[in-house]
Amino acid sequence: MLRNFKTIFYISRWEFTTRFRTKSFLFSTFILPLVFSILITLPVYFITYDEQVSTKLVGFINLSKTRVVDTLQRHLNQNYTLENGSPEYIVLPVSVENSPSYRTALNELMEVESRKDSITTEYNRIKNLRASYYNNRGLKNKEYLLKTTYDEMIATRELKDLVEIEYDNYRVHLDSVYNREARAAADSLLLKNVLNAYVVMRENVFENGYVEYHSLVAGNLLESERMQKIINEVIIRTRLKEAKIDATQIAGWLHPVAIKNYQLRSIGPTEWDFYFEFYGAVIGVVLLFMAIFTSGGFLFSSVLQEKTNRVIEMLLCYATSRQIMAGKIFGLGFLGLLQVLIWLCITAVFVFFNLFDIGQISYLNLENAFYFLHYFSLGYLLYAAIFVAIGAIFSSEQEAQQVNIILRTVAILPVLLVFLFLKQPNSEIITILTYIPLLTPYFMIMKISQIGIPLTSEIYFTSTLLFVSIIGMVFVAAKIFRMGILMYGKKFTVTEILHLLRSS
Amino acid sequence: MLEVVKLSKSFDDLKVLDNISFKVTPGKTFALVGPNGAGKTTTMRLILKIIKPDSGEIIVNTIPRNKLSHEVFGYLPEERGLYQRARVLDLLIYFGLLNKLTRHRAEVEAIRYLDKFGMVDYTLRRISDLSKGMQQKIQFIAATLHNPEVMVFDEPLTGLDPINQIVLREMLDQYKSEGKIIILSTHQMSEVEALCDHICLINQGNIILDGQIGEIKKKFTENAYYIESDEDLSFLHDFKFLNVIEEQNNSCKFTISDKKVHNKFIQSLFEKINIRKFVHVEPSLHDIFIKLVQKD
Repeated sequence: MLRNFKTIFYISRWEFTTRFRTKSFLFSTFILPLVFSILITLPVYFITYDEQVSTKLVGFINLSKTRVVDTLQRHLNQNYTLENGSPEYIVLPVSVENSPSYRTALNELMEVESRKDSITTEYNRIKNLRASYYNNRGLKNKEYLLKTTYDEMIATRELKDLVEIEYDNYRVHLDSVYNREARAAADSLLLKNVLNAYVVMRENVFENGYVEYHSLVAGNLLESERMQKIINEVIIRTRLKEAKIDATQIAGWLHPVAIKNYQLRSIGPTEWDFYFEFYGAVIGVVLLFMAIFTSGGFLFSSVLQEKTNRVIEMLLCYATSRQIMAGKIFGLGFLGLLQVLIWLCITAVFVFFNLFDIGQISYLNLENAFYFLHYFSLGYLLYAAIFVAIGAIFSSEQEAQQVNIILRTVAILPVLLVFLFLKQPNSEIITILTYIPLLTPYFMIMKISQIGIPLTSEIYFTSTLLFVSIIGMVFVAAKIFRMGILMYGKKFTVTEILHLLRSS
Repeated sequence: MLEVVKLSKSFDDLKVLDNISFKVTPGKTFALVGPNGAGKTTTMRLILKIIKPDSGEIIVNTIPRNKLSHEVFGYLPEERGLYQRARVLDLLIYFGLLNKLTRHRAEVEAIRYLDKFGMVDYTLRRISDLSKGMQQKIQFIAATLHNPEVMVFDEPLTGLDPINQIVLREMLDQYKSEGKIIILSTHQMSEVEALCDHICLINQGNIILDGQIGEIKKKFTENAYYIESDEDLSFLHDFKFLNVIEEQNNSCKFTISDKKVHNKFIQSLFEKINIRKFVHVEPSLHDIFIKLVQKD
């Protein structure tokens, strides 16, 4: 018995030491997590990062006929300023003064307007004249004068009405020309990168709140969200002012609300932040994936290499297939444990030097570190048994890698489902996926870190499930390993593997 | 002594070994020969307990194989493969430890062997840095480092240069003198003739020849002759009692089937033509091998 364990120990130690010294292990322990962390944090950094190189010009086309430019500028200045104190946004009303069609339309309108003014003056003169006739009691031909001026007044009023209609038409035409020309001018400025974006306030903006935001980049979410927020505030303030509400009262009402999120955990309510929760889940699962597949990958290539270079024949002469399999699984499992411990130590150092705000990342605690090790060990043993079997069945790395890729794809599924998990961690689909042994470690790591309440019964259940799966898989793998490892150059079909399992 | 008694092994419906028995005497080199797929590797794997027999048993010095621990055996497989990234000394110590040597003993033995093969300078080199021949020597050392009682070598000389072949032969001679049980499998019949004392020819899972090399050669001796002449020898085909085996540029190898005319014919041959060379040819193991396998 002791001899048996000694042989397993020697094989374990050999596997551990030969892989521990490789660049591949160092890379997957230090470089890969670093690269991964950078890769997943960079996109969010770029989304939230505001370049703030210089002030941005925002064009403004106002079709609403109200003066909101100054208010808009004031609010933007209050909310967004550059580090040097100058405003981050300057609102620039789009000018169409130089547009020939606008100038023509404007001249036409002005001409009609002057006619309108002149006819109005004439109409008012007749009205005043008639009033003087009427009030002059001593006027001899009063009746006659009133009668003749009445006809003149009616004719002038008709003319005045017609000119006013004409004026309204020209006004509408001018607005239409302004709308068209202003947009054309703004588009041109946008294309020349003079404007960062431009905003169009529609006619009835204060009733329907319809505002357009134009930019060259479709996904400029940060800028458009900011503009929406400020315009929204300006419109609401204007509406409230029109309702004769006191300015100080408006300021009080519009004071923004800040929501702090708390999660009920075993240690009591703890504040949470979406980004920390999201990254906690993703990083936890990916690190577990990396740890399992680093050691599992070593195991897989170890079996495959020994089979292809026939070292296995020498080994089988001095140790049984079970000893070899156990030695490899344990040796490389300890390598994986070492890798996880290194990561935990690095995290502990970060926490110790306050590089992480431990108060904000509540799932970074010793209990969860233990669970990470626990599920790593169980997950690794399950995958290790599968890798041993695959390594023994295939004769070339190329063929075996195809199955390896399928396994990796299955194992990375929880990472792809992080959003679904964060949305509804207790949903039926997540529960079902949690009880698929190949996925159990990943989902449990997410659950433990994200769900505050203790999951004691679920931990017991999934651990038992994994334990039973491991025993079953090791049993199957041992049979396949014993028979398959000596069969070189043979491609196994599923039927042959089943036959192998039944016959051995 | 190693005894193989009525050993049988099948893989599914394919009978690889059918009730074979042989004995290997200590201090003698035993050659296990046969064409590809004859059952040599299976026999060796059964002896090494890599696989289990369907029936029969293997006994080493009166002890059944199952009761013997693995360090009694040393194995050099045909396919040469080692951990390419490992260092020479680490690898040899690893195999030593697997065979119950202490770390210190394994290290000492490894260096002693490396010195014997002129490779002590390569102790800390990686296997991948070594030439193919050197790797083969390392594999030989790994197989014999623990000084096993039974040594099984599959094609031991393949890939070695003539000088290292001599070193290996010397090693085998030493093991023979130490009374080790040596089993050797090869396709090279010249190797068998040079290295072995006993031959066991397997074909299609059955033993078709088993005995001392000298005895076998004697048994298969036939009246074969080789002559070289300045004249054309094609007239030899005219004699019905004469079987021409090989013919080349006024040289010919033949046997005489009719013993009655044997002496008379040779005498007349010398009278008829001018003979430069006349040799009575002994059968080579190569010829015996081909003859028996084709006949089987």
